[in-house]
Amino acid sequence: MPHPQNLDPSAPGRAADELLVVRCQLGEPDAFDALIARWHRPLWLYLRRMTGRDEETHDLLQDVWLRVIRGIARLRDGSRLRGWLFGIARRALMDRLRREYAAPAASDIDPGDLAAEPESDDSEGDLAALDAALDTLPAVERDVLTLFYLRDLSLAELAEAMNVPVGTVKSRLFRARRLLRAAMQERSDA
Amino acid sequence: MTAIHLPDPSVVASLERLARTELSLAARMAHVVLALVASAMTIVVASLWLTEPSLPVRTMTAFGLLTIIGLGWVAYSIWVLSARRVMLARQRVVAGRLAVAFAGTFTAGCVLFAFTTGAPSAWPATAMSLVLLAAALALWRRATAAYSALLSRRDALERELTGGAR
Repeated sequence: MPHPQNLDPSAPGRAADELLVVRCQLGEPDAFDALIARWHRPLWLYLRRMTGRDEETHDLLQDVWLRVIRGIARLRDGSRLRGWLFGIARRALMDRLRREYAAPAASDIDPGDLAAEPESDDSEGDLAALDAALDTLPAVERDVLTLFYLRDLSLAELAEAMNVPVGTVKSRLFRARRLLRAAMQERSDA
Repeated sequence: MTAIHLPDPSVVASLERLARTELSLAARMAHVVLALVASAMTIVVASLWLTEPSLPVRTMTAFGLLTIIGLGWVAYSIWVLSARRVMLARQRVVAGRLAVAFAGTFTAGCVLFAFTTGAPSAWPATAMSLVLLAAALALWRRATAAYSALLSRRDALERELTGGAR
């Protein structure tokens, strides 16, 4: 029988997440290594998608794990680890963006302008077009679409990560999909 | 198609180093000791300040300032332990034991001093050290209960995940 402490880091399920959280909260020496092994890649992919740069992603990831280490003792329900982790990653990202830019609100951006950027290669198929169009969206819309479609967070987990009601998540998703569709349409027309 | 940028293997190593540094037991216990020593010193100074009315004004002022400084160190160490170096369950139990041992020794010293010398400052110091001991005992008890609860939950989850519960 495999010892649960040696479970594969990719083992699915909320129970495996909760076990890791409990072991971290207990202070077991190798629990944080296991937590990092299980979650650094999804967090990296999310942050990399949002920042577009390796170096910035690395800095952000360090910030995220610092917050995780300092905050995990207060996480009451370990089965909600995924939403909690992405919530921290999102807050770290937003703090960074807030510091770096005096950015205009996403709602001020015209979808037509978003798709007006030059596309280098139109021949690589729908997925490439989708990927490229996603990269042109404002941070808020790219954020919600990335978490929902690429990181597979549920609506409830998204609501926790964004600290907003589920209804707000739905409306943000609706708006983000509309912007993405407009961006893709503009690209195909161009 | 846009390339998928996977994390470099060195990223994991740097995160593990970060975790080990952040979770250092020595740094936590140093702040626990700082809080205990600062509490004891503050109790001693405050007792002298409160029970020696015939001291010169500048001495009274100095005692007052030392009491404020002592309380400042206590507040600082508590802030570090609650925000920066947050203790995990096992570390809380160790810190609780340390606090009970320190507060117990300090209280015994105060009681002994009070009964052997009968100095006026010894009684308030004894009273405050008893409060410190009670707080240490409460924290230790709470830490032990939380640790036991987490151990039980861990065992239940391990049984669930390995199918050994039934």
